[in-house]
Amino acid sequence: MNRWLIVVGREFKTRVRKRAFIIATLLGPILMVGAIVVIAFLAEQATHSDAKVLFVDHNNLITYSLSGSEGVRIPSCTECFSERSFLEYRFTNQALTTEEFIDSDFTAMLELDDGIMQSAKAVLQYEVAPSIRVTSAIKRDLGEAVERLRVKNESSLDYETYKRLKVRIGLVTQDIVTQDKNVQHKTGVGFAFAMFMFMFIMIYGMHVMRGVIEEKSNRIVEVVISVIKPEHLMSAKMVGIGLVGLTQIFVWSLLSWILFIAFGFYAESSGLLVNLMSEQGTQVAATDFSSFLEASDDLNVLMQIDWFMMVGWGAFFYVAGFALYASLFAAIGAAVESEADAQYLLLPAMLPLMFSYMVNMMILESPESMLATVCSFIPFTSPITMMIRLSVGVPWWHVLISALILVVTVYIMIKMAGKVYRTGILMYGKKPTLREMFRWLIYKN
Amino acid sequence: MNTVKDSKYSALELIAVRKQYGDHTALDGVSLNVPEASIFGLLGPNGAGKTTLIRMVAGITGPDSGSISFFGKSLTSEHINEVGYLPEERGLYKNMRVGEQAMYFARLRGMSKAVARKELLDWFERLEVDGWWNREVSDLSKGMAQKIQFIVAVIHKPKFLILDEPLSGFDPINAARIRKEIIRLRDEYGTTILLSTHDMSSVDELCDHVALINHGRKILDGPVDSLREKARAGKIDLIFRGNLISFTAALGSGAVLHSANSTGDNVHEVVLGLPESIPIEKFLKWVTTEVDVLSCSPQSVSMDDVFLRAVQDSGANKIEQS
Repeated sequence: MNRWLIVVGREFKTRVRKRAFIIATLLGPILMVGAIVVIAFLAEQATHSDAKVLFVDHNNLITYSLSGSEGVRIPSCTECFSERSFLEYRFTNQALTTEEFIDSDFTAMLELDDGIMQSAKAVLQYEVAPSIRVTSAIKRDLGEAVERLRVKNESSLDYETYKRLKVRIGLVTQDIVTQDKNVQHKTGVGFAFAMFMFMFIMIYGMHVMRGVIEEKSNRIVEVVISVIKPEHLMSAKMVGIGLVGLTQIFVWSLLSWILFIAFGFYAESSGLLVNLMSEQGTQVAATDFSSFLEASDDLNVLMQIDWFMMVGWGAFFYVAGFALYASLFAAIGAAVESEADAQYLLLPAMLPLMFSYMVNMMILESPESMLATVCSFIPFTSPITMMIRLSVGVPWWHVLISALILVVTVYIMIKMAGKVYRTGILMYGKKPTLREMFRWLIYKN
Repeated sequence: MNTVKDSKYSALELIAVRKQYGDHTALDGVSLNVPEASIFGLLGPNGAGKTTLIRMVAGITGPDSGSISFFGKSLTSEHINEVGYLPEERGLYKNMRVGEQAMYFARLRGMSKAVARKELLDWFERLEVDGWWNREVSDLSKGMAQKIQFIVAVIHKPKFLILDEPLSGFDPINAARIRKEIIRLRDEYGTTILLSTHDMSSVDELCDHVALINHGRKILDGPVDSLREKARAGKIDLIFRGNLISFTAALGSGAVLHSANSTGDNVHEVVLGLPESIPIEKFLKWVTTEVDVLSCSPQSVSMDDVFLRAVQDSGANKIEQS
């Protein structure tokens, strides 16, 4: 036992104090938030290549001519085409030829005729592909102009009245039993948990394999297993490395929570909250962060998620899922002598993991489908798929049965992997086939 | 062959040990007796079963049948702390510092932190690797790393030490130093050392006893001196000037002519086997009357010769000597 703890300690310590681990663990949440900000910023920057669009109004629908200046036209609704820093409009009723367009300084040309009144479709030709920001601005501007025209032509209403009467439905979905609203947002949270699960099992499972290969290739394993049973060495390695993963999960959770709370304080004190709410058009006058979240359709999911249950079961499924895959990876590591040799054995071991990752994409769409239910019971996929089901709510006995199946499978896998491991680590000089590895299962020591 | 019985106590005794891996018989009824406080050379071509035997003594595997006794008791996991093991082609953990790594292995052998540290520092100084305590393993030269591995194997003062090719990778100066340390361990601490090696010169220099195994069977064992003597088997090298044919005719049935080689000018080098009934002095007296003897000496036999001859005699044609 004492020796076992010494091995666990070594596996844990040597990894936790690595610079890369410390940086990833402390900066992980900050970097993730930072990455999102940077991407948003870059996306913003990308659209700053200014667009200059020529509207060719063939039938003079939305523009009128200013007497004296030939070809140049003015929009009838000037406020529809408001000025934007990244977008400039010019209006005419004479289309340019392709050559003329290319020679001009316009980046895009939009032609419209009577047809738009019925089809509500226009063609935008471009020399430089316009950004989404530009196209959505054009769509909005032109849409309003055409809308105004239609209201004027086909009704007796003035546009302001029309706008007031127009209805846009916001759909709030609610589970009749749990009273939970907007479950699809919760699925997103579950999906994030599942992604982290996949990532951690993968990364730390590979750590186990690499550790086993290192010990085997430098023969240290012979010294160690002369003082501790191979099965115990394997379990100590898995526990040590699994704890490294748990440490990272714990620190990340803690840091994210602190960041979240800190952001809340900042938002409350800086007036950002008020700005955000006026932008979102939230009716409730929330002064504190939590009631702001409560009031937001998109963010109130954060308040509804049972974080303790998610984190608790998440930790369980991580530990069990890690044990399952890590024992598989340990057996593979023991069978080969270098990481390059491990590739052909890794593929079959990783397939179920990859499969659950892909299935997750589908489950995200319909978390209460048959596929989701089945996959949440299969031990090789359940650690990942169960997280999504947990986020939207799942009968407690489903979770319990799934957990039981997983634990039993883990026990069997560790026993089997231990046998392969014990034989494999002392074999040198040949690559075993899968069949040989199965034979090791029945070897006596 | 006879088992060595010239020491009062045996540190390790194997009786009819067998080990099978699938269809392959790694050890086929091997019996060995390693006397206490001796250096015992374990020899044999690659794949002979040496590694299997070593792993059993190191406690990594057990025999399918037969018994292993360790200082008179059956070998069990209780003896872990009394065995030291330096495997072949060994390495160190890359992600640990030298001292920390040495501490880890010392503690795995049951040493307390304080004692381990003190003993390690002594050894570091003795082998001139002090100052490397806090360095990265990747900074070590091959020889340095080998020294650390040696220290790690002996740090807990094991009663029984297994060294698999301990001198490979050392330059001649450091090899001599390690050799000295091995001898010191035997002489000062009474450590019993099982030394597996292909390096016959270190067998000649270090070993008190040897055993030779091939194809999972022991084909030879005994004290080094008596094995040499036996291999020599009364053979003498004789160089003389004279007529080879009349010399041969005169030998009669008493002695056997193993080989003859003419170097010209009527000088011949011959290897003769004398029966025990003819002492060498009597033979010399007789032979000087027949030919002009230039030199006569008992044939010099190295362990290399003993090794090769024994392997050949055992009927193995596939010798992969490295």
